[in-house]
Parts: sequence; structure tokens; C-alpha cells
Amino acid sequence: MLVSVWRYSHLLFAICSSIFLLIASVTGIILAVEPIYNKVQPYHVSGADELSLAEVLSTLNQTHEEVVAITRDRNGFLKVSSIAEGKNQDFYVNPFTGENLGLPIEKKPIFQFSTNLHRSLFLKSPGRLLIGLASFFLFLIALTGIVLIAKRQGGFSKFFSPIVKENFSQYHHVKYSRITLIPILFLAITGVYLSLLRFEIIPEPTVSLEVDYDNLNEMPSLSLNDFELFKKIKLGELRELEYPFSEFVEDYYIIRLKNRELYVNQYTGEILAEAQFPMVNIISSWATVLHTAEGSILWAIVLGAGSLAIPFLIVTGFVIYFKRPKTKIKNKISKNDAEFVILVGTEGGTTLQFAEQLQKKLLHKNYSCFLAMMNDYDRFKSMKQLIVITATYGQGEAPASAEKFMQLLAKKSQSQKFQFATVGFGSTAYPHFCQFAYDAHQQLEKLDKATALMDVSTVNDQSFEAFQNWCTEWSQLQEMDIRLEKPKIVGNSLPPSTFRVLHKDELPSDETFLLNLKNLNGAKPVSGDLLSVIPKEGERERLYSLGKLSDNSLVISIRRHPNGLCSNYLHQLEDGADLTAKVVPNRNFHFPKNSKKTILIATGTGIGPFLGMIAENSKKKELHLYWGARTPNSLSLYKDFIEKSIQEGKLSHFKTAYSREKDKKVYVQHLIEKDKQLFIEVLKKGGTIMICGSIAMQKEVLQELRSICSNYIGKDLSHFQNKRQIKMDCY
Amino acid sequence: MKNLYLRFTIAVVAITLTVGLSGFVKPAEVSYKCMIQMMNYTGEKAYVVVSLIDPDGNYVKTLYIQGDDKEWFPDLKNWWKFSHGSNENVDGVTGATIGNGERNIISLGFDSSQLDSGYKVRFESAVENQEYYAVDAEVPLNTATIKEKVDGSGYIRYIRMVPNR
Repeated sequence: MLVSVWRYSHLLFAICSSIFLLIASVTGIILAVEPIYNKVQPYHVSGADELSLAEVLSTLNQTHEEVVAITRDRNGFLKVSSIAEGKNQDFYVNPFTGENLGLPIEKKPIFQFSTNLHRSLFLKSPGRLLIGLASFFLFLIALTGIVLIAKRQGGFSKFFSPIVKENFSQYHHVKYSRITLIPILFLAITGVYLSLLRFEIIPEPTVSLEVDYDNLNEMPSLSLNDFELFKKIKLGELRELEYPFSEFVEDYYIIRLKNRELYVNQYTGEILAEAQFPMVNIISSWATVLHTAEGSILWAIVLGAGSLAIPFLIVTGFVIYFKRPKTKIKNKISKNDAEFVILVGTEGGTTLQFAEQLQKKLLHKNYSCFLAMMNDYDRFKSMKQLIVITATYGQGEAPASAEKFMQLLAKKSQSQKFQFATVGFGSTAYPHFCQFAYDAHQQLEKLDKATALMDVSTVNDQSFEAFQNWCTEWSQLQEMDIRLEKPKIVGNSLPPSTFRVLHKDELPSDETFLLNLKNLNGAKPVSGDLLSVIPKEGERERLYSLGKLSDNSLVISIRRHPNGLCSNYLHQLEDGADLTAKVVPNRNFHFPKNSKKTILIATGTGIGPFLGMIAENSKKKELHLYWGARTPNSLSLYKDFIEKSIQEGKLSHFKTAYSREKDKKVYVQHLIEKDKQLFIEVLKKGGTIMICGSIAMQKEVLQELRSICSNYIGKDLSHFQNKRQIKMDCY
Repeated sequence: MKNLYLRFTIAVVAITLTVGLSGFVKPAEVSYKCMIQMMNYTGEKAYVVVSLIDPDGNYVKTLYIQGDDKEWFPDLKNWWKFSHGSNENVDGVTGATIGNGERNIISLGFDSSQLDSGYKVRFESAVENQEYYAVDAEVPLNTATIKEKVDGSGYIRYIRMVPNR
């Protein structure tokens, strides 16, 4: 079934019941305190459950004037109802001594109030019905939620694998719903059950025992202590015992145990009648205990957590819904006038932002361009170029705005020839990376009028650079010049700091240089964080991976582009000059604290952050560095540092791959293939592989790692990515 | 004649003494153990109120309330009119509700003067969203018959009373 069907059901159920669920869960949190409050009262006497009924009754009879009944509640407290000096008295006793321990726990007004609100909203029967329905909706919400998680995670078997974080609400909604799924399901099911019981849809049969009044004996008259049954029954099994009302032999003991009811002759101790409680009663008793957590502090906490999660899930759920793109796409050109048609398949809306960026730039350059969702695929009479930009949902399925695309392709054929390009957005942390983009591409290729302009391009983790690379390639193929502007989604950067240039190392032949910086105020970056530099006001920021060599020395490794505004700006900085830049935390690319073995893979200037990580490896953990460059000459910038690190034991192994050597071109992925045993071992033992450099290198390296994983470990690479054993920072 | 005078005097003194003393001596309290046995009905737990009724059929006082949530008290209409209307303090005489088929044993106290003089003990009952019984069962405070079982007409199956030990 389509994801959107599950999703809309999930949402619809939530809309119908959220007010009631909110009331029920908030009161539920309060009511979760009650069983804990009761349980900690000092009426529990340890070891008492092992006493026999005979022992307890004779103690009570000796110590109290007239006992009418005794009750053992779910907390294990023994309550006596007695008549003393003509007055009714209820109190807890110590079963060993008969000592009065205190008056019955009075229900606190807050609990009474919450119970009434929780059960019936103070609306008596109609209120009970509403709450019962809300429980049922909660059950349906939980069920649809389970399916949605399974779809998102890529199957039920991956239900509990790590969640890919897209945004706060999405991540925490999934995370907490999984954690509290069990209590929520229990609350919902038992809630429904108790409602059905209340409305007599589940009938609760009553036990009625028949006593043969014609054959009651007063002889042999035994003392309580000699009743066989009373000697046998342990206090722990007891729920309730009612004394005979009078001394007539027609009055007898009524005993309710956990599973049965007995009538016992008050003189002879013989069983007059006995019956098991019907299954329904036992289930009802369980439903009550499971719903109210009476008698169990642990379960009360679990249920309390479930109740606590519900308001949170309601809020984050609605946030997710309202954050979804309301497909208000603006088009200046009508669909039949546009030569360029961009179609978007999106789930959370970020993909749309990228597409809008492209549309804006095309329009700016006076290309007629039309932007729509993939579900809006239609006949486009002037279309020459089709661009499909799509995310993938869960197990390679279509995202929400592209569910109908495949059918529409077959239905709405174009009358003119056109070229197309496909860009897949996704995360390599999902097992079916960009699967839907590949599927859509394949489907398009089958059309008579369509020709692929280029292969599918993929964008990992919303990498702007990867999208830009695609855009450059795409526009060059058509001799256009389209430059994208980075959408402002880089959040939580710190306020700008001032950095002083300590030293510049340059390798002119490679057009690369290293800048040593000292932080003068504010930010305390960690190796792997990014330095955001804006060369001139109004210009786009550039990001550089930072390496932290020491508290006073940071390093960035830069490749100078002939017309690069930023790289040239940085290059002209003299020693001692000050630079204003922001540190952007990049937690996903910090050196793993708990990894015993770590492999670092970099090409060219991608080595920058690794220099810091190596310098900081004072614990001398096993660290391997693979580095790719054009010629051995490229190494001269880093050579001293690396040799020193090896001597100091901070770097275990260093291997290089040079791609412009005369006899043989070697790339880093070749080294991986050769050293696969090391990679297998590191992955299996929970070590980490960090990759920094170009997108092209990342793609090749991941490809190599993927085949090692599936061929030698029998697991998909995404398994390790989800366990954060693969960390990447590529551009 | 003198004899007659003496007799008159003795009679006056005797009457004065009797009347006067009776004002100071508290009548004896008698207490009965009472069992309320519920029917096998379906629905919520029943609220039952036990009241003392004078020979003219008026409420005298509340002896016991089987039901601990005041929210439902007004459902016992006649009693509520009396008890609420006269601002009676009923804090000490409430106990937990019981459900269908269950029984409750309580102690009820009376003045000995209320025995054998036309007083009755009335049991009225109500269940949420179900019928209200203004007189579910009524037991005359008659020492000769009080031990006899009295059947109820609503949620109460029967009432039994015996003198307390």
C-alpha cells in the first residue's frame, strides 16, 4: 500500500482524537504517580505472603473485637474491616502481629479528579464513550505508526536500526515513538478492553456458587487452626475473605483467591462450594492491572513514560505535518510554454528548495522554465529538457509527491522529442540509496520520445556541492552557464570570530596551500568542524574543514582556483593578518572517541581536518591514513608533519595513491581493495572509517567499501553507516 | 384523706423524678450488624444510603453511605434533599461502593428508644445511568422480627441484621 495512505490514516486518526488523547495522557501522567505513591506507603510487611490463612485469621481474631472481612490489595497490603464498639473500622494490619498499621489510603483529590477526567471527561457515559474511542484511535495510530516506521527504516527487520536524522521533529517523533511503543500499545489495548467491558460489549459473567443448605453440618466443630484448607492457603494467594455473617451454620466463609472463589463451613472447615473465575474475569483483572499499574512501581514508570510521550508525539507529529511543503509552487511560465520542465519528488521539502533554486536561476537567464511536482506530470507541449529531481522514501519507494509518476508516464505521452536528466536526493545511510531516482530514470528511458542527457546523479545528505556539480555538468552539456546559490539551511553556526594567520605553507606547482590560524576570541572548534569564510560582503560563504593542531593552532588546507574568489582572498593574506570567519559545528565528522581503530581516507586538500585529528591522537590509538594525490610532489606540504607523527606513534600507517604517475595510475579505492583485510577488521570490530575529499572520490570509495561489505561481511554498507562507523565530509 | 394526700405527693415526686432524671440520663445505644447483599445486576457499582426513618416516614439521620465519591450523591434524590437540605455532616459514615453480587457488612447504631416504636431503617440505591430506588429495602426496627431477612426490590438482594456481640 502507498505510504501516503498510511500517512494520511495516521494523521486523520490523530486529528480525530488528539484533544481527547491529550487530556487522557496528561491525566495519565498524574495517575501513573498514584500506584507509586500507594506502593511506597509503609503497610507492606515482608514475608507475610508466606503465612497461612489459619495463622493470619487466628492472630486477627485474638487481637480484634470482631473482624468482618480481610482484603489483600495489589500492593500486598492486608486490610481488615472490623466492628469495634459498634463502629465500622477499616485499617491495615501487620499479619504477623495483628497490629493496626494505619487507616486505608484515601484517594487524593488530585487523583480522584484525574481519574474522573481520564475516564469520562466529567461527562459520565458520553465521556466514557469518547475516551473509549480515543483509546481505539490510539491503537490505530500505533498500528499505522508501526507500518510507517517500517517503511521509513526499510523493512520490519530494520525497525530498530538507527534513524537517519532529517530534522528535530522527524527524528524525535520516530525515536520516542519506538521507545514508548510497548506502553502505548498496552495502554491503548487495555483502554479499549476496559471500555468494552464498561459498555458490556464484553460480558463479564458472575460466579454464582450453590450451597446445599439441607446438608450443612455443625460437627465435627474444629478450631480455625485445624481447617485443612486454611492451613494450605497462603496469604499471598488471597484477594478477599469475608467472615460468616452470624453464627448460624447457614453463614459461611467466602474466600476469593486469585483464580477462584470458595465457600467454607464455619464449623467444620469443609468446602461448601468452589468455582474457578471465568477466563474473562481473569483477563479483565489483568487489563486493569496493566492499565493502572496498580501494585508495580516499575510498570507505573513505564506507563507514565508512555503517557508522557503522547503529548510530545502529538506536537512533533503536527509539526512534521505543518512543515511539509504545501505545494505552492510559483510559475511564471505556463506548462505548455516552458522548454525546461523541472519535476520534483519530495518527502520533507528540502529537495524542493534545491529545485526552486534551479528554476530561479534558469528564469533569471531567461530560459522558459516550469516547476511542478512529479505527480503533476502531464503533456508539456514545448518541453525540450526534463529535469527530474527526486528523493526516495524508505525501501526505494516513491516519495509523497511522486507516487503517481510512474503511471502518469505511461498515460501522458509527449508529442515531441525531449532530453531528460535525473538527480536523486538521499542519504547513503539508507540501504536503497536514491533507488527511486534510478527507477524513474529507467522508466523514462523506455519512452520513445525521451533521451537521457546524462546518467543519474546522486546527492548525499543534501550536499549543495554535489547538486552544484551536477548543475555545472548539466548546464555545460547545453552550453549554458548556470550558477546556483546555496539555500540558507546551514543552521546553528556560531557568531563570527577573528582568526590570525600564523603561517602559510605553499606548493605553487599544485596550487595548494596550508593556512595556520590562531583563534583570537570565541569559538572553540574541534577537528572536523567547518570554517565558513565570506570573502566579501554579499558573497556566498565557502566552507573549509578545520584541523586543530593544538589549542593555539588551527589549520585549513586550500586549493587555489584560478578565478576562485575565496581561495584567492585567503591566498593573499599575509602572516599576521586577521580573518573574520564563523565556525560551523560539524558533529558528524568529529573524531570518534570510542573507536579503537580508525581509518582516514582523503584526497588532496581533504587531508586538512585529518592533520588535526592525527595531531590530537596523543593516546596513540591505531590510526591509518590513506591519501590520494596527483604526484608524489604533492606530498611535500605535509611530508614533515606526517613523518613526525609516525615517529611519535600518533599515526600508525600512511599509504599513498598517485594518479598522475607515468607507469601506473593509482587511486585510493585501489588501495582499499588491496588492504581489504584491514577494512573488514575495522568494520567488524566497531572501528570507524572517515572520508574527506571530492564527491567523485567519495563515490568510488563507497562503491569499493560496499562491495567489501557485501562480499566479505555479508552486510550492507548502510548498516555500518547507520552505526556511524562511516563518516564523510565531501564537497 | 391524709392517705390520699400522701399518695398524691408520692405520685408527683415520682413523676417529677422520672421526668427530670430522664432528661439527664442518655438512652442506651444499641448496635446491629447489618449485611447488604447485592443482586447480580450489570453496570457500575451501586451507591446505597442507609437512613433512619421516624414513624411518620421522615428522615431522621443518615446511618451509612456506601459510596465514596460525592459526585454521585445527588443521584439518591430523596435522601439528598434531606441530607443536603439539612447540611448534615456525613463525613464519618461513608464506605466504599460494592459491585454486583458482592456484599458489605456494616454496623448500625440506634437509641434503644427507637426500637419497637415504629422507626425503620431505609436502604435507597442508585447506579450510574440506571434506575433510582427510593426504597430498595426497608427494615422495621422491631426486635421481634429484625433478624429476619428482608428482600430488596432494586440492586439489593436482601438485608440481614443481627445484634452486635
